[in-house]
Amino acid sequence: MTRTQLTRREFLKLGGAATGALAAAQFVAPRVAQAARSLIDDPNGDGYIPTMCEMCVWRCGVRARVKDSRVVKLEGNPEHPHSHGRLCARGQSGLMNTYDPNRVLTPLIREGKRGEGLFRKASWEEALDLTAKSMLKIKDQYGPEAMVFSSTHNLSQVQFENLLNGFGSPNYGTQRSLCFNAMIVANLMTYGMEEPNRDYSQLKYIILTGRNLTEAISTSETTDLMDALARGTKVIYIDPRFTKTASKATEWCPIAPGTDLAFHLALINTILAEDRWNKEFVANYTEGFDLLVPAVKDYTPEWAAPITGIDAEVIRRIAREFSDASPYALAHNGWRTSNFINSFATERAIAILNAIMGNWGVTMLPAAAEDSSALGKPPQPAYPRISAARLDGVPWKYPFVPLKLGIFQQLRDAILDGKPYQAHGWFIARQNPVLSLPDRKRTLEAMGKMDIIVTTDIILNDTSWYSDVILPESSYLERYDPLVPIGDKAWLRQPVIEPVGNTLSALMIYKELGKRLGLSDYFQYTDDEDYLRQQLAPTGITLEETRLHGYASLSVSEAADVMHWNTPSNKIEIYSATLKKSNFDPLPTWQEPPLPKPGSFYLLSGKAGQHTQFGTQNNQLLHKYQDVPRLWMNPKAAEQLSLRDWDWVEVTSEVGNVKVQLNVTQAIRPDSVYMTPGFGHLSKGLTTAYGVGASSSVLHVTYVDPISGGQALSQTFVSVKKA
Amino acid sequence: MATKKHYAFVIDVSRCIDCRSCQVACSVENNVPMNNTRIWVNDLGVQGEFPKLERTFLPYNCMHCDQPPCVQVCVSGATFKDKVSGLVLVDQDACIGCGFCVDACPYNARYLNKERGVVDKCNACVQRLDQGMQPACVATCVGKSRVFGDLNDPESEASVALRNAHDILRLEVETNGVDTDPNIFYINSPMMKELNLPISTGQPLVSQMGVLPRDPKYTIAEIGWKKVLVPLVGLGIGASFLVQATYFGKQLLEGEKEFDE
Repeated sequence: MTRTQLTRREFLKLGGAATGALAAAQFVAPRVAQAARSLIDDPNGDGYIPTMCEMCVWRCGVRARVKDSRVVKLEGNPEHPHSHGRLCARGQSGLMNTYDPNRVLTPLIREGKRGEGLFRKASWEEALDLTAKSMLKIKDQYGPEAMVFSSTHNLSQVQFENLLNGFGSPNYGTQRSLCFNAMIVANLMTYGMEEPNRDYSQLKYIILTGRNLTEAISTSETTDLMDALARGTKVIYIDPRFTKTASKATEWCPIAPGTDLAFHLALINTILAEDRWNKEFVANYTEGFDLLVPAVKDYTPEWAAPITGIDAEVIRRIAREFSDASPYALAHNGWRTSNFINSFATERAIAILNAIMGNWGVTMLPAAAEDSSALGKPPQPAYPRISAARLDGVPWKYPFVPLKLGIFQQLRDAILDGKPYQAHGWFIARQNPVLSLPDRKRTLEAMGKMDIIVTTDIILNDTSWYSDVILPESSYLERYDPLVPIGDKAWLRQPVIEPVGNTLSALMIYKELGKRLGLSDYFQYTDDEDYLRQQLAPTGITLEETRLHGYASLSVSEAADVMHWNTPSNKIEIYSATLKKSNFDPLPTWQEPPLPKPGSFYLLSGKAGQHTQFGTQNNQLLHKYQDVPRLWMNPKAAEQLSLRDWDWVEVTSEVGNVKVQLNVTQAIRPDSVYMTPGFGHLSKGLTTAYGVGASSSVLHVTYVDPISGGQALSQTFVSVKKA
Repeated sequence: MATKKHYAFVIDVSRCIDCRSCQVACSVENNVPMNNTRIWVNDLGVQGEFPKLERTFLPYNCMHCDQPPCVQVCVSGATFKDKVSGLVLVDQDACIGCGFCVDACPYNARYLNKERGVVDKCNACVQRLDQGMQPACVATCVGKSRVFGDLNDPESEASVALRNAHDILRLEVETNGVDTDPNIFYINSPMMKELNLPISTGQPLVSQMGVLPRDPKYTIAEIGWKKVLVPLVGLGIGASFLVQATYFGKQLLEGEKEFDE
């Protein structure tokens, strides 16, 4: 191996040019995509191959058009329930992730200082040996708990969990506490399931509380909403911003930030005061209704009006319309619900509002669990017993946070503070915590405490930029992942082209690393296809057949009882004795979030339809059609500060400041400003995204909700002045 | 000119969410260079004063006019109105890249592909139509705003969408007394009092805000299906362009033969 020091420019040359030379390296994936194409009824192997999208976590079905061994177009798979033949802008752009000129095509090992961007090419042997050696050294010196592992919501995560659990570390970071912990934990407390399914087919009335479905797109659900609107469903949209969803909604309520809870408490109050609840449903299927009545008696629309900024008459009317439309009504529980100190109580109030109107079984159905019981799995031994406490305080400090969700921001702070013990190594798979976690300065400081940081990614995202070893993964169009059951089918992600460079699937990276860590028993498959064959074994369906259709049909047992909830009472828990036992409010009560000081603004967070989180900004096709990321401000506020559209402004919070251009727009309340997250990348290895926009994570103040562990992303206050 | 098929785009304005999936799909399908686009979503901007706000998105591309000004000015004969499909197409082997048609198109729907030295624009993905598929933008439209089909076939999706529409709007331009007679039909649009229409050329077509690069303001006359002409001043290319928008009442279409059941 030549010890080449890679400057940024040289590094970039790697894309493509290095492919040929590296193809002979040891871990070359078998030419699996060619096999898939041979299934196509075309002598050249050109045609459509079914697979699954990975541009966000919704996992739409895809049909990839391949010509001359290249992906030339992606289509939605009409058979797939998440896409119905359509793909959003991100899904359409997916091939540009694979053909990104900044792809990392060979393992890299850091040469310069962290963050300097100097890497040298390495063989897989060397990179994996170095990673394993460093991890084992940490295990010997400090115990396995000194290694932190983090990865989020991908189809190979089951084997990632084998890696961390087999290694013996309890420290598992996902990004969910930055996203939906409040919603998940509230649903668990109320319905005994993480997230009930939504059914729009009979929907007549929906309240979307910040669920910006036209910009935070979940393809099939977004289409469902537009279909519902077209047939006359009334859509009430609650948001301090006039988003694109607000422009489509029947009615937009520009609610004061942090007061969604007051709004929903007033809806419940009105429904109870006017005797509008579904008595039969409440009597048969819920627990603790009697205690709700006195708990919300003071939360009248007149009480909520000055808090929320929504007229009492409007709140009362919405409560009446909602109850009139029930059970064909739905109060949507949102998605990213990490907003304020009261986000968990807000989610509880939404869950209860649906329960007292009996919307269950009509617009809400039991969650279609990703039930893998019909599929096989490679054998593996039990995990070693782990005695160390988790750094993120779950569950010893935060008993209600599910282990697989965790509290990422708390984990980061524990790494930085060295309490209750010091972590020394961090293995990060396909995540970008440098940009996603609040208070970026602290994240970089925490990384500075690490002896070793290893990342897997397909490009040099910011976290890879600061790491010591980069293990390049094959993109989702180049690799297999384990099958994922949705309803009565197990869907397949399969390679539609050969890997562009010397990259490996996550399944193989974890296996090869596991082998070097002495964990081979947790990775009992010879290659990706062997893994899938073991999954398919009980179904009697061949891998070849599965590859042809893109799925394997499963014989699913009788549909679960709709009227069953996995709660302590086996009913929908309006009153939660579980919460009460831990001295939390058993019923949602009003909690006033902190207010901005005069002269400062709420910094709101949200989504634009062209990007996913912190990893797609380098995709040139998305870059082509994105808006220039700017700070939104109402003209009234801008006038007071003598600021104009497109001015460069300095935005300052208590933890950081950024410079960004201003978007003076009526589409936001005068007390708030807004930034789309995911911009302001630090990595110069992202030649498309570097230098574009600013990062809101620099400004975000860290918060941990004591019940759900959720961050409060809108509870950061900023001042703005001309830069 | 009567053609065998009468392909048209029908765009349900109430369903466009400006997600730009159509634009990305088109770029990929048609190898559009990174600094060009064949297809736009015109954001009419946030209208009104907080909190009484409205916002409308108007997707567009080549309007495949029945009287296309681009065909009139094409010196090489590369741009033509296809007699079978009714689509306005460019024979890029014959195109000499002079750019007259780019200037002549009142919708600014054409661009010069500098990589290849030829003019390019929406061709309704004829390569897909040949295989029985929908244009890429229509197939992927998440809001189901875009519909495409043959208006000569009363059962085509486009005909059905027009038949069921609350209101129909076309963006017509009159040059030298000839109406473009465009084949994009906007349906179910909120009342658009002001429209930003593309008029001249020579600026990057991909604007940063997803809006058109130029925004001369035209007043669309009061609602009603009567044609209203609004004179426009200050235009180049030696032609006097007139912009007119026409709202059809539903009865107008029902009165037309091809929509009879």
